[in-house]
Amino acid sequence: MSSVAGLQRIAPVPTSSDFIDIVLNATMRKTPTVIHKNFKISRIRNFYMRKVKFTQDTFDEKLGKIISEFPVLDNLHPFLSSLLNVLYDKNHYKLALGQINTARHLISQVSKDYTRLLKFGDSLYRCKQLKKAALGRMATIMRRQKDPLAYLEQVRQHISRLPAIDPNTRTLLICGYPNVGKSSFVNKITRADVDVQPYAFTTKSLFVGHMDYKYLRWQVIDTPGVLDHPLEEMNTIEMQSITALAHLRSAVLYFMDLSEQCGYTIEAQCKLFHSIKPLFTNKPTILVINKIDIVRLADLSPENRAFVDSILSDKSVTVVEASTYSEEGVMDVRNVACDALLAHRVEQKLKGNRIEMVANKIHVAVPQKRDDLERKPFIPDAVKHKVKYDKEDPDRRKLQRDEEQEMELSGMGIYSADIKKDYILADDSWKYDKIPEFLNGKNVADFIDPDIAEKLDALEREEEALEAQGFYDSDESEMLDSDEEEFRDAASQIEKKKASIKKISQEKNHLQNRPIIPRKKKHVTLSEFTSGMRKSGHDPLVLEKRAARLMEKKKEAWEAAEARDAAAEGDMDVDMDAEVEDSSRPSKGKPIRTKSGMAVSRAPRSNRQMAGLATIVQSDKANELRDFAQRLPNRLAKASESDRHVPITRPKWMLAGKRKGGKTDRR
Amino acid sequence: MAVRTQFENSTDIGVFSKLTNAYCLTALASSTNFYSVFESELADVIPIVHTTIGGTRIVGRLTAGNRHGLLVPSTTTDQELQHLRNSLPPSVAIQRIEERLSALGNVIACNDYVALVHPDIDRETEEIIADTLKVEVFRQTVASNVLVGSYCALSNQGGLVHPKTSRSELDELSSLLQVPLVAGTVNRGSEVIGAGLVVNDWCAFTGLDTTATEISVIEATFRLQGQTSAAVINEMRDSLIDHYA
Repeated sequence: MSSVAGLQRIAPVPTSSDFIDIVLNATMRKTPTVIHKNFKISRIRNFYMRKVKFTQDTFDEKLGKIISEFPVLDNLHPFLSSLLNVLYDKNHYKLALGQINTARHLISQVSKDYTRLLKFGDSLYRCKQLKKAALGRMATIMRRQKDPLAYLEQVRQHISRLPAIDPNTRTLLICGYPNVGKSSFVNKITRADVDVQPYAFTTKSLFVGHMDYKYLRWQVIDTPGVLDHPLEEMNTIEMQSITALAHLRSAVLYFMDLSEQCGYTIEAQCKLFHSIKPLFTNKPTILVINKIDIVRLADLSPENRAFVDSILSDKSVTVVEASTYSEEGVMDVRNVACDALLAHRVEQKLKGNRIEMVANKIHVAVPQKRDDLERKPFIPDAVKHKVKYDKEDPDRRKLQRDEEQEMELSGMGIYSADIKKDYILADDSWKYDKIPEFLNGKNVADFIDPDIAEKLDALEREEEALEAQGFYDSDESEMLDSDEEEFRDAASQIEKKKASIKKISQEKNHLQNRPIIPRKKKHVTLSEFTSGMRKSGHDPLVLEKRAARLMEKKKEAWEAAEARDAAAEGDMDVDMDAEVEDSSRPSKGKPIRTKSGMAVSRAPRSNRQMAGLATIVQSDKANELRDFAQRLPNRLAKASESDRHVPITRPKWMLAGKRKGGKTDRR
Repeated sequence: MAVRTQFENSTDIGVFSKLTNAYCLTALASSTNFYSVFESELADVIPIVHTTIGGTRIVGRLTAGNRHGLLVPSTTTDQELQHLRNSLPPSVAIQRIEERLSALGNVIACNDYVALVHPDIDRETEEIIADTLKVEVFRQTVASNVLVGSYCALSNQGGLVHPKTSRSELDELSSLLQVPLVAGTVNRGSEVIGAGLVVNDWCAFTGLDTTATEISVIEATFRLQGQTSAAVINEMRDSLIDHYA
């Protein structure tokens, strides 16, 4: 709300019943709601104390806001303060705010009392009753504020609708008897649109209009008509005019209707001027003779003229004639009034010390010539011929904005400005050429030599010429060739040899893909050995002889051993029967083999369980003792005495987790 | 002729545009409204170039130039430089400057004949400015602000400077620049003249907040409506006193 200068926005004031609802609702929403009689008594007390205090806080905050938001009349600009006094009656206004303030104090007192009482509450019920009583009393106090609240709400609404009058700016104040044409004049020079009707007191309050003159903004205030009677008898409507006249630094335009169509005589109008004249001191005053389409100042009868002259005898009053009906002289009135006020204000300001701060701004520094150089402005001729752009002109230039709007309206997608359109290039077809990437400030274009083709041609021509001259022909070339051929032959031979060696080596490796037996351990027959020696050109005769000799010796030894064995077996035949049970024992020297060459299985030669025991009885006894000794380990699930394994003593599955009914023993 | 406009809800239009007697640069924006304001006033007279400088839209603050040339900071990319070269007439020299104070628009204020520069600018840069823009270069401050480009707007016919410039300083600057100078504001009391106003010899563009009084001072100062700058002390004097004091 950009309302009256100096008045801030005021939040709506609720009615008393709404007020109570709002606060109690907040208490309900913003404090805890669950309480139980079995709770500790301190908790119950706190619960209810909190409710009482919260309610009081909320009341306090809301009332405080009202008090702080409504303007303090004594702190306002004198004009606003007396305007509000006229409109709302200062005493009534102060009283209403005072009552609200009292209510606020009373409520905080109630809260204090009841929190004290709550400290002694000994049950839920009692605490609850105390809270109820506290809130009830607060609500009663608020209910009594019904009238002040309603009044303040009305004031608030009225304030928000007051015209935005700035008391310090340039102001033209229009006053006069009712129906002399004040509002019509305001309508003529501003766009205020004040209601104009042919009866008195059409305008019942102040109206503001704005206009521009001499690069400045002017505020024009239309006031209700004033009748000529003592100040005490004036009504609210008239008092508003008087307030404005008394407190605003402005130019006063006193309107007069010489035709007396307004219903008041010229004499009465002049008398009013004289009676409110004290309010015009120190203000430029302009006497505006309105309705000159009917009667002009010159047409007046001598006695009436004398009344007007009594006003004009004061030199500070300027007279201007105008007709809001025929619009004759309206602008003159405005200009005369504005000029007079501006001159008056400037005169005032020149007396003050602020003028020094703006002295530099009303100074044009004119250069002193420092050389004979002429520095002319540079305005292209095109500027002089350029037609001023006009939005309404149907043949106007089509701007990019128009293109953008067209595109958006047609829904063709998003407009993107074509920044290459206006390139200034030697050839327009180049505009949209792709520019190669830049690197280190250069692109490929920087390396293009326009003469490159010619230079290449020149080089080729030179080459051809050299070739034609036989510059490149030479005898040495053939000699060089034969040398090189030899060299190449040798190289190719070496390569071939290398390749074959490599191949052989690879084949060898291929064959040897199995366990390699050292040569020493390899079994070599004599014939193989000797044939190998013969092949390599040695005579193995000596070796053959020696081998034959050794063989002979071995053979003899073997035969002798055979004979000895045969003799020994003959001796042992006696024991054969006794050894039947362990007949499977292999005979000394030769292992027993089946035809297929597998070893033959054999039973153990003695029963080990019976070892060291003479009789079956003894054996039974031993078994019994052994079983007895095994009983304890068996019971403990041990393998034997030496088994020291400790199983998990507290299994997790048994002890962890939630136990429901009946699980204690079962798991 | 002074035109009020704004750039995407900002009234500091001097940040987003650069106007000289031979060309106009505007920032690339999401819509063409800003560009079209210049287009409607300047089309067919001088080229108006949509561009970025170093990928930013603050073209007015980063560049400095006049009818003879355009200086761009070292952050300008090769593509942008190529685009500017293609868009501007051959008579305008474009020069990329390796200068520590890279916001050239803030540190250089110039018309077609004289330039004021930041007192700390490089000696080499000073020479480049003199050669490229064909101007006399003066190291100066405006109302004890070193950012001369931000606090004044110059054309060949007049200049508007920081509102706190004293009368003696105004006279001194005026003699250096050889144009009449006025101290004033733009954008409803903003003292950064360079940001709120771009001007050449026949038209001016100001921020949307500029008041009628400020506009009239601008038009008188730069002789845009056939007035002389003496209007500021003659017919407008009373309005100005009442407005400022």
